[in-house]
Amino acid sequence: MFRSSNVVARIFERQVRTPSPGTSVHCARQFYENLFPSCTLYDVECPDHSFRKFTDDGQYLISFSRNHQDLIVYRPKWLSYSCKEEDCDLPSKAKKFDSFFTQLYCVSLASSNEVICKDFFLYVESCQFGLFATSTAQFHDTPAIGGAIQGVPSIERITFHLLRLEDGMILDEKVFRNDFVNLAHNMGVFLYDDLLAIVSLRYQTIHILQIRESGNLVDIRAIGTFCREDDELFLNSSTQCMAIADKSKMHQSSWSHVENSVHNTQPSSDNSFLSGIKQRLLSFIFRGIWNEERHNSMRVQGLKKKFYFHFQDYVDLIIWKVQFLDRHHLLIKFGSVDGGVSRSADHHPSFFAVYNMDTTEIVAFYQNSAEELYLLFEQFCDHFYATSRNSLYMNFISSHSNNIHAFEQLQSIRNKASSFSQFVKKMLASLPFSCQSLSPSPYFDQSLFRFDEKLISAADRHRPSTDHPIKFISRRQPCTLKFKIKPGPEAGSIDCQKRKVSSFLFHPFLPLALSIQQTMFLQPSVNIHFRG
Amino acid sequence: MGSVLCDWPSFDPHNFSQLRPTDPSNPSKMAFATYHPPHSRTLPPPDQVITTKAKNILLRKFYERAEEKLRPKRAASENLILEHGCKQPRASTSC
Repeated sequence: MFRSSNVVARIFERQVRTPSPGTSVHCARQFYENLFPSCTLYDVECPDHSFRKFTDDGQYLISFSRNHQDLIVYRPKWLSYSCKEEDCDLPSKAKKFDSFFTQLYCVSLASSNEVICKDFFLYVESCQFGLFATSTAQFHDTPAIGGAIQGVPSIERITFHLLRLEDGMILDEKVFRNDFVNLAHNMGVFLYDDLLAIVSLRYQTIHILQIRESGNLVDIRAIGTFCREDDELFLNSSTQCMAIADKSKMHQSSWSHVENSVHNTQPSSDNSFLSGIKQRLLSFIFRGIWNEERHNSMRVQGLKKKFYFHFQDYVDLIIWKVQFLDRHHLLIKFGSVDGGVSRSADHHPSFFAVYNMDTTEIVAFYQNSAEELYLLFEQFCDHFYATSRNSLYMNFISSHSNNIHAFEQLQSIRNKASSFSQFVKKMLASLPFSCQSLSPSPYFDQSLFRFDEKLISAADRHRPSTDHPIKFISRRQPCTLKFKIKPGPEAGSIDCQKRKVSSFLFHPFLPLALSIQQTMFLQPSVNIHFRG
Repeated sequence: MGSVLCDWPSFDPHNFSQLRPTDPSNPSKMAFATYHPPHSRTLPPPDQVITTKAKNILLRKFYERAEEKLRPKRAASENLILEHGCKQPRASTSC
C-alpha cells in the first residue's frame, strides 16, 4: 500500500519500494485511484450499432448491426489533443465517437434468414480469435425425434463462427442442425484455454471442441449418450452379437436377412439403455448410498428410500448447463426439462455433478441446497471461475473468496436471508458460471472502489437505469467520491415514466467506459466516460 | 581472505570468498565465526523437487469428499467390487 494518495509521490515510492511478494498487480492497480474516468461526453452521436463489449485484452470493441446480420469491430484509441491555455475544454471536434474508436472492418455473419445472437461472444485471447453465433428462428412444440428431449425447442440451424479479429477473416464454422443451444449470455457454451464445451440441450450432449492456433474447430469428444470414444463401437458390436444369437435361435436361414436385422437393431435412444452420462450418475448415487451403511439390510433400506424411490426423478434429469473446472473436469448442472429452457430457473430444483472427462467418472454429486457445496463455493469461488492460464488479470476479479468487502456483502445477504437453505439455493443458482461474463476492469475492484451493485457491477448484464449518477467511492480513507458514471442524457430523461435499462462497457485497463441507456422504442443514448 | 563477509554464516562456505577488502594494506581484523549445523536433519532431501499439484484445491476437495463417501464402512469382502477387482458376470438376458 502506498503511503500517500498523491500520484507523483506514489510514482517516486514505486521507484524505491518493492511490493510485498505476490502483490505487484495489486500495487499497480492502486494507481487507478488516481486515474479514473473523470469526464463524460453525453449522448454522443455514434453509429447505430449494438455495442457488445471490449475484448479482455482491450484491443477491440465488438458491436453488431441493428439488423443483427453484421459484425463491426472497432479499435479503441486515445485522444491526442493539446491546448495552449491553462484551462481549456475538449475541442468540439474531439467530442465524437470517432475520436475514441476506429472502425477496423464490417463482416456479414448472418444470411437472410439468420440473425447474430447479440448476447453471445467469446474471446480466445491467446490467438485473438472471436467466437460468434448465428441462428435461425426458434420453434417450440417440435416433435422429439431422433433422441431429442420433449419440451426443448428446436432451432433449424445454429452456426458458431470463429473469426480472426485482427482482420475479420472467418476461420472456421461449426453447425448444429435442428438443435437447441442456450446462446444468451454465453450460457450454453464455455471456453477454457483452447477447449470449448457446447451443450446441446435438445440432444443432451456436451460437445467438446478444441480451437487450434490454425483457426480450426476440432471435435474432441461428445459426452451424453456415450462417454468414451469407443462406447458406441462396443455397444454396436454387442448388439450385433445379441441380434445374431437371437436370429440363430429363431432359425433364420438367410445371412442377408440377418444383416438387415442387425442394421435395424442399432442402438438408439429408443432402446432401454439410459445414456452413458446418466448411467455414470446413477451408479455414483447408488454407490454413495450403499456405502453409507454397514449392514446389507440397512443398505437395501437406504437404497429403497433414497435411490429407488427417486429413481424416475433421477432418470428424468437433463443437463442444463456446463462449465470447465480444469482441462479434465466439468461441472454439470442437472434439472428438469422446464427449468432447462426457462429464463429463470431459480425456483426449480437442480443438482450439480463433477465429471472427469478422462476417466468418465462422476466425482461428486450435490443437490442445489447442499451446504457442503456452498462451503466450497464460499471458500474457493475463484476456482469456479476457471480462468484461463493465459489471462493473468482475469485472476484479479473481485469475489467473496479473495476480497474482504465482497465477503462482507455475502455475509450481509446471508444474515438477511429467511433461511440458510434458501440462501444456499440462491447462491448456488449462479453455478455453473457463464464464461467471460465479468469485466476485468480495475474500477470494479472492491478493494479500490465502493459502488452500488444494484446499479452497476462487473457482470455484463442490463440494469435498471436511474437518472442519478452512479458513484464510485474510494475504499481508502477518507473514502472520498472519486468519479461518477451517469448513463443517459446529462439533464436526465424527459419522460421519467418509461422503463429504461442501462448497460456498461468498461475497457479492461484504460480509464474508458461506455454507458448505453436504452428506452423502449427510442434510439439508445451512448455516453463516453474517459479521463480528461 | 581477509574479507569481512567471508566468514559470515552461509549455506555454502565458498560464498563471499572472492570478495576482497577495500584497503588491502589494512585488512579487517574482525573474523566472524561461520555456523555449520552439526546434523543434517534440516537439510532438504537431495532429490526433492517442488512442484505444483495438477489438480487445483477445489478439485482436490471434491475428490477428498468423494473418497470419504465411497469408502466402504466394512471390510473388503462386503464391497460391491470383489477383491480381485473384477465384476461378476451378469446373468444371460435370454434366460
